[in-house]
Order: sequence, then structure tokens, then C-alpha cells
Amino acid sequence: MAEYVGIDLGTTLSGLAYLKPDGNPEIVPNSDGERLTPSVVFFDSHEDVKLVGSAARDGGEPDRTIFQIKRYMDDPEHLVDIDGKKWTPAEISALILSKLKRDCSKICGDITEVVITVPANFNELARKSTIAAAEMAGMTVKRLVNEPTAAAVYYAHSQGVKGRVLVFDLGGGTLDTTILEVAGDQIKILTSEGARHLGGSNFDDILLEAYAEQYRKQTGTALYTDERHRRRVLQATEDAKKMLSKLQRVNDTVANDQNSGIARIDLTRVEFEAMIRHMLTRTVFLVEQAMDSVNLKPSDIDHVVLVGGSTRIPKVKQLLEKMFGKTPKSCGNVDECVALGAALFAKKSAKIQEVCNASYGTLAMIYNAKTGEEKLANSIVIPKNTPIPCSRSQVYQTSEDNERVIEVDITQGEDEDAKFIDVIGRITLEVPPNRPKGCEIAVTFSYDENQRVRALVVDKQSGRSKEVAVSYKGAGVLSPEELKRRSAHLRAMRIE
Amino acid sequence: MFKILKSLSNSLGGKSAAKKQAAAAKPGSLLDKVNKGAPVAKPEAPKTPEELCGLDPKMDKDQVLAQLKLLFRRYNRSASSLDAQTRHQAEKMLDAIVQMREKHFGEI
Ligand SMILES: Nc1ncnc2c1ncn2[C@@H]1O[C@H](COP(=O)(O)OP(=O)(O)O)[C@@H](O)[C@H]1O
Ligand SMILES: [Mg+2]
Repeated sequence: MAEYVGIDLGTTLSGLAYLKPDGNPEIVPNSDGERLTPSVVFFDSHEDVKLVGSAARDGGEPDRTIFQIKRYMDDPEHLVDIDGKKWTPAEISALILSKLKRDCSKICGDITEVVITVPANFNELARKSTIAAAEMAGMTVKRLVNEPTAAAVYYAHSQGVKGRVLVFDLGGGTLDTTILEVAGDQIKILTSEGARHLGGSNFDDILLEAYAEQYRKQTGTALYTDERHRRRVLQATEDAKKMLSKLQRVNDTVANDQNSGIARIDLTRVEFEAMIRHMLTRTVFLVEQAMDSVNLKPSDIDHVVLVGGSTRIPKVKQLLEKMFGKTPKSCGNVDECVALGAALFAKKSAKIQEVCNASYGTLAMIYNAKTGEEKLANSIVIPKNTPIPCSRSQVYQTSEDNERVIEVDITQGEDEDAKFIDVIGRITLEVPPNRPKGCEIAVTFSYDENQRVRALVVDKQSGRSKEVAVSYKGAGVLSPEELKRRSAHLRAMRIE
Repeated sequence: MFKILKSLSNSLGGKSAAKKQAAAAKPGSLLDKVNKGAPVAKPEAPKTPEELCGLDPKMDKDQVLAQLKLLFRRYNRSASSLDAQTRHQAEKMLDAIVQMREKHFGEI
């Protein structure tokens, strides 16, 4: 049996690693002989089989091929319809995890308990869906760990570094950046910031537009009219993008599927860099945001570590080099280090100090004594980046006479402006009658190691209180019975 | 500065969480005010990137950068909203923010 197993369930690629008896992690290849498995699922129409990986990615039926399901893990309404059956993102992910489990256990032994990585800014529903996916695939999740944390654990292990490290993870779908402190095998996370919808597939889309424009110029017709052909060209643009990480210029030819002729594409690295420049500027903003939130300057960072396939783009490295005045390092294979770090984390989780991923608070009228102004605002009780586990309180006053019910809205988000945060729940507390305004109410939030949040509201005068777990319970979360049923169903499926 | 927990029961009439959306639809309700997207990106009045970002010619470089950073944090967060409209608006704002950075601080 493989005791310490880590899985990187990526948007584009997924990988599994286990800890060898010598304490070093190793990637376990799948049955197709690949170290990483494309996170793509294909539902065959002839045979009752689900293909996962390269075979699925390279097949030709877009209606039956699911790419990048991870982008929807937090969307309770996203369902994939195949032959009338509706699949949730968790179920599609479970198919990918099933393949990894089945294939890899042939090499490293039975896999029952795993650590799975998630983007640092994955919300509660996305985290729950990930855990559900693993359970459906017949594995117990020992812990979820943030992807940049896992990468840093691997980096610290393999390079023996010390000091403040900034991990820059630019993958296929997202950008994550984390700052942490490494001292021996103790790791302290300082902060994480992420950007959804900022990654390699955005670059592919931008290139696709350029290809289509060239095609129209040269032939006067559209490069693609259906999804199947769009996919094909998209694959070609991704290949061209990768070539441009090595070469200054690539030549390509493209055709549509209507015999409208062939167009020559001539593309230089400089042109490509100009096309993605706006996206890259966003990455600079995000890195600055991470540093600002912990009051650090570029010179305070000792090492910049590259993670994710898109950091192979030379411009990305140059940008970071310019920003930090030092050459960014990569820990071996940039697409494997998250899985490798997760396997290490499975054993060492106790030595890693994490922080709150978001701020929690409540809506309150905030009175400014200087200006006399009163406005509704997000009042933060527990700020993002507070080391966990932790607990914080804030005392408020009621603003009306004779209030019988105190309602506390629970907010998530850093913005003071209530328009830009999420109200994720509410606590209602009944209080005794006939009280004047100005009664004190204490609101306490506590945060445990698993990023679970609890909120407690206490009416100081009467001592009445109410405590709730601040968690996502709405649509998209399966009941334990339903989870068991689907898990049994999945185990009987042919997945290759 | 005092912090006062304003009674929310008046404006929301003790509605359960399930009825939140109905409450949000009522004009003038608190959640309505809270949940509404940014007024800056109303489609009927096309604005320059400067206006979208609330940049004033009187601002010095530090103020401009601080404003752009604040807006980036805000709209980067909205860019992952589940609401397509909010996401779309956030993308437009992020484009404007990047343009303004390039204008004031040069290309990366
Ligand atoms: N040599 C390269 N140059 C540019 N982009 C690359 C290169 N190799 C891989 N990529 C891109 O990296 C992305 C996948 O990175 P990965 O870290 O595996 O993503 P994820 O974590 O999202 O699954 C894809 O968009 C892919 O096109
Ligand atoms: Mg990744």
C-alpha cells in the first residue's frame, strides 16, 4: 500500500506522486506510460467506456469531450449533459481521479488515502466538490493543500532553501501566487492571492483569434464554423505557443474544414508577447497585491520559484527577473512539483503553518466620529492572512430601541465597500424585549486547520448566544447517502 | 470610530436565506444595495478608461498607483464571480486598469 500519496488535480494536467521509503517523492506514471494525465474526459458513444487523458484529448467529438472541468468546481449550476444524463463537475473529476487511482496503484500499491491540491483561492464549494470527487473515486482525502504551498514544500525539500519564497504558479487556467517563509523543514505561509481565468488557455484563445484573422485576410472565409474544428485549431495554436518558448519565430499553415484553402501563419515571439502583454500586466498586479498585503518589498523576497507550464514562456521569467532583480528558479519539472509536494505534505503537514485565505466579518453601519458620517460597510473581524488556527472578536452596538431579533450578516472578502464582498450567511439571535439601542453584541469568528470557519454571536447583556459553522450548504453539495450511491456506481464503470 | 450593528430586520423583514433573492429584487432593500454591481460600468454611458478608474488629473503618481491597485484587487475578485454579468463587467474594468497602468507607468 502507498502510505503517502499526493494528487495534483489540475485544470489541464493531473499527476499523482507517492513518497518512496527513502523519503523522496516520485511521480507515478499512468497506464498509457505518461507521467501526467491530461484532465480531459471522453464519453464514447459506441462502447460504455469513459476515456481519460491523452486519448480523450485527441479524440474528435467535442460534444462528448470535457475539458477544464476544474474551472466549474465552484458552480452549483454547471452540469454536463451526456446522452441525457447530467454530470456534476465533481463526478467528472471523479472519473479523472479514478483513472489515476486505478493506473497508479498497479505501480505503487493500493491507494486509499490521499492529499489533493487545490488553488489557494478555491472557495468552500469547490473544496467540498474536490473532496466528494475523491470519495466517489474510492479515496479518502486526508487533507486538501493549496497548490503553491505544495510546490513550496517540494522546492524546500529538493533545494534545501531558507528564507522568504514567492511561488508564482501560472498554469493552464489560473494564476496563483504565495509568499512563505522556510526555515529547515518548517514552513510558514504568509499570504496567497489568485486570479481565475488567467492562464495558458487565455493565451491559446488570443492566438486563435490571431489565426482566424490571418485566415480571413488570406482566404476571405472563416477559419472555423463548428466546435470540432475550433478545437483542432486551438490545439495548433497551443503547439505554436509552446514552440515560441524555444524559438523566436514559427511558421504554420491552417485550413478550415470547408476547403476554402490554406493560410500561412508567420508568428514571432515578439508578436506573441505583445498579444499577451495585457494578461501579463495582470500577473504583475497580482504579485504586487500579494506583497502589499504582507507589507513586503521585492527586495524582501529571497527566492522566486516558478511553477506551472506557462512559466516556460520566456517573457514571464523576464518579468519576474525585472521585478525582483534576481533570476527566478524552477524546481525541476514545473508541471510535476505540485504533485510531488503534495506527497511530501501527506507526511509533513504538521510542520506547515497556514493562514486564513479570506477575511470574514459582518455588515455594519460605521460611524465616523470625525465627519459625523454613517455608512454601511463591511466590518472585518478576522483578516485574511491571520495564521490558523485562530479566533478573533469584535463588539458592535445595536442601533434601534426595542430590537427583538439581532441579525448578523456574515461576509467574506477584503473590500470595505459592501458591494464588493459576498454575504455568505446570517445568524439570527432573539434578545429580550424593551431594550434601548446601544446594547453590546460580540461577534467572534474562529478558523481551524482545515480552513473551516465558525461564527459566534453573543448578546452581552442577556448572555444569549448562537454559534454556526460558516460553510457552504447550498446547491451542489451531495448528501452522504447520495455520495455513497454515486461512488458505487462509479466503481462499476469502465474508465481507461 | 464607532462600529454599530444596524438593525437589518427592518429592511429585510426577517426573510430566510432562501428568500434572499426575492429580497434582493425589491427596490431599496439592503441586499439590493449591497449586491448591485459597480455603478461605474453602466452600459448606457460609455466612459473613458480614466473615468472608469476614477482617475483625476490632479492625482500624483502614488495616488494613481494606489487607486489602480485597489481597483485591481476589487475587480480581480469579481472576475471569479458566479454571475456572468459581474464577470463581464470585471473583465472590462481589468482591461481599463491595465491600460491606465501602461499609460502612467509604461509597458511591462
Ligand atoms: N513550453 C511551454 N510554453 C508555453 N506554455 C506552455 C509550455 N508547456 C506547457 N505550457 C502551458 O502550460 C499550461 C498547463 O500548465 P499546468 O501547470 O500543467 O496547468 P494546470 O495546473 O492548470 O493544469 C497549458 O496552458 C500549456 O499550454
Ligand atoms: Mg497547476
